[in-house]
Amino acid sequence: MRRDPSVGRLLTRSFAVLVALIVCSGLTEMTTVLVQHRVVRELSTHVQPLELANARLRAVLGDAQRGLRGYLLTGDTQVLDTYLSARGEYTQASLNLLELATAAEEPAVDAQLVRADIWWALAEQQRRAPPRSDTAARFVTEGKPLFQAFVSENEAFDRTLARRVTTLQRRSSWLGGVTVVVVIVLTLVAAATAGVAALLTARRITRPLGAVAWVLDERGAGRLDARADTGRGPTEIRAVAAAVNAMADERERIRVAEGDVARLRSEVRELGYRIRAHLRVQDAISEAIRGLAATMNADHVLVRMAPGQTDVPQYASLGDEHVAGRLAPLAACDVGWLSGGDVWTTDDASPAGDVQPPVAEIRACAEAGAEAVLTVAVSVGEECLGALTLLRDHGPAFTPVDVRLVEVVAADLGRGVHLARLYEREQHLVARLQELDTAKTDFMSTVSHELRTPLTSIAGYVELLLDAEAGELNAPQAKMLDVIGRNTRRLRDLIEEMLILSKIESGAFSTSREPVELVSLVEHAVEVIAPAAAKAEVTLHTDVRGPLPLHADPDQLDRVLMNLLANAVKFTPGGGEVRVAARREGAEIVLVVADTGMGIPAGEQKALFTRFFRASNAVRQAVPGTGLGLAIVNTVVDNHDGRIEVESAEGAGTTFTIRLPAA
Amino acid sequence: MAVTVVLVADDDADIRDLVAFKLEQSGLEVIAVEDGQAALEQARARRPTLAVLDVSMPGLSGIDVCRMLRAEPATAGMLIIMLTARVQEQDVEGGFSAGADDYVTKPFSPRELVSRIQALLSRARA
Repeated sequence: MRRDPSVGRLLTRSFAVLVALIVCSGLTEMTTVLVQHRVVRELSTHVQPLELANARLRAVLGDAQRGLRGYLLTGDTQVLDTYLSARGEYTQASLNLLELATAAEEPAVDAQLVRADIWWALAEQQRRAPPRSDTAARFVTEGKPLFQAFVSENEAFDRTLARRVTTLQRRSSWLGGVTVVVVIVLTLVAAATAGVAALLTARRITRPLGAVAWVLDERGAGRLDARADTGRGPTEIRAVAAAVNAMADERERIRVAEGDVARLRSEVRELGYRIRAHLRVQDAISEAIRGLAATMNADHVLVRMAPGQTDVPQYASLGDEHVAGRLAPLAACDVGWLSGGDVWTTDDASPAGDVQPPVAEIRACAEAGAEAVLTVAVSVGEECLGALTLLRDHGPAFTPVDVRLVEVVAADLGRGVHLARLYEREQHLVARLQELDTAKTDFMSTVSHELRTPLTSIAGYVELLLDAEAGELNAPQAKMLDVIGRNTRRLRDLIEEMLILSKIESGAFSTSREPVELVSLVEHAVEVIAPAAAKAEVTLHTDVRGPLPLHADPDQLDRVLMNLLANAVKFTPGGGEVRVAARREGAEIVLVVADTGMGIPAGEQKALFTRFFRASNAVRQAVPGTGLGLAIVNTVVDNHDGRIEVESAEGAGTTFTIRLPAA
Repeated sequence: MAVTVVLVADDDADIRDLVAFKLEQSGLEVIAVEDGQAALEQARARRPTLAVLDVSMPGLSGIDVCRMLRAEPATAGMLIIMLTARVQEQDVEGGFSAGADDYVTKPFSPRELVSRIQALLSRARA
């Protein structure tokens, strides 16, 4: 059974045994019936007629004897008729008996008939003897033993026949009993065989089938590595298990293939990000070439730019094979046959659209010796920037999925090249602007230096003259020199502030930010301005509520404070006051500088922070100034992401409010 | 008490004359030169007590001269004041790191220069 574990075979065998048992049982019954039928027939057609014939013979002989004896004793001839009719019947009866007897019984029948014949011979003698005579009496005596001998033979045969009947009856009954037993036994065996076969079949089918069903359930629940055991169970279930496994393997293969495509997609997407992240055209192209060679299993990658594309390398390839390597012939081919969005591959029997490369291109591909070639246009919108060509030396051919993915990369490359080119152009522009800015700063620095030297001479000599180092001056001379000195100082201040403004605007200071505490800056500025305020008889009020942390350039903030305070003191007449307040308001730090000075005419407040602006009333009253101080303040506040507001009424005073983000 | 000798080096003749005139008026003896090389030679030859060096001179700059004077034992102790036309901090720091004792920014007042020189001299004497 283990050698051939087929359920079909098992069932066949079981049914064969069952059929054999049923046939045996039938045969047994039929044999018994036949045998019993023969017994009955023998009894009814042979033994019982024989018994009857035997009995009749005896009756006939008995009748003959009685008739003969009665005649002899009485002499009545009527009685002799009985004998005579018996004699006639005897022949019939003896023939009948002989006819019925078989060869085996014939000796017994013959022996009986011989005795009868012997009696009959004597009986004939008797009949002739005179009745009631001594002879007759003697004959009667003499005939008695003869008759007796016949009777004993007859009875012996009768007994033989009776035994025969008994034997037949016993055999029939025995056979019946045996048959019943045999049929019962066969029936039991058949039932047991059927039961065992059913049990075995059920067990050998149910369990392995259950295992297969469990595997299917497991797979349904997501355990995709579940496999049925094909080494156990009957052949049929093994076949089912093998089929289930084959199905599972196929599903797995499809899943892996889908996973591969998904992985490729994500790689291509990431490659796209990397390509577009490059800011140099050359880097973007190199990234695309390296990425495609790895992702698409290409042995050679060539990027050709269309003629007329500026700021892009004309050719690029994996390992620079276009220079003198295998890709040189292909690099020599023009890509003018491609337009935006075109694709051509060697294995495309019916190319989409009417993309057909020129003969030279096809020949160059053949010279490169690659089995599969894919060329995709690198485009931005409708414009074809160039061509991206992938070659596989030994195949396989590029699949539609490959083509789609390479198209995606080509589109990314197009965008990347476009962006990088824009960026590079912008970079050039920025570099040139920076150069210009540096030149401007240098120029300002040089100019201020060149101006300072002559100013030093002018101011120095004026001072010498005023100090009477070269002799005493008269009053008009001194007054004139005073004007020269004042204007020299004004010129000096102008140069100084122009230089500062230029520096601040060029951003040279914005890099030096550090944690700053405004409280100490305000205190320092107030301390510095205090003598000037005292001299101008202006009262200084300070209201600073710290801590006021800032992230700022302390020198620039100091300049802001100094400019505002100096202005306030300068424009405030004697007896007026200047108030400085600083406090925190939420995320902002607020600095307020207010004076009770001449104010700014309402129409001029807008232009307050423009360079060289001077309020008309200040000019009228000949208050000195360069017109750059507030421009510097405004620029510094801007550089610190702050805001500046001004409130002013002519003749009543001015309030500057600066708001800076707190650190 | 011997007259204090001061070396003045500036390529601009007007400023050189201005400084020399003011210093002589203040009772100092002045050696005026017009470039760094001459300043170096005069400093070695005459051993002035103090040198007023313009930072930007053709050839050797004031900072170069200052560094070289400090490197020579004979002139290492000389008092040096730099004249600078630039307000950039790196120039000032460059002057100090080269060993200058003080600096004055152009345009300067001759009075201020003299008072700084006298302050340095009195500090050196003390």
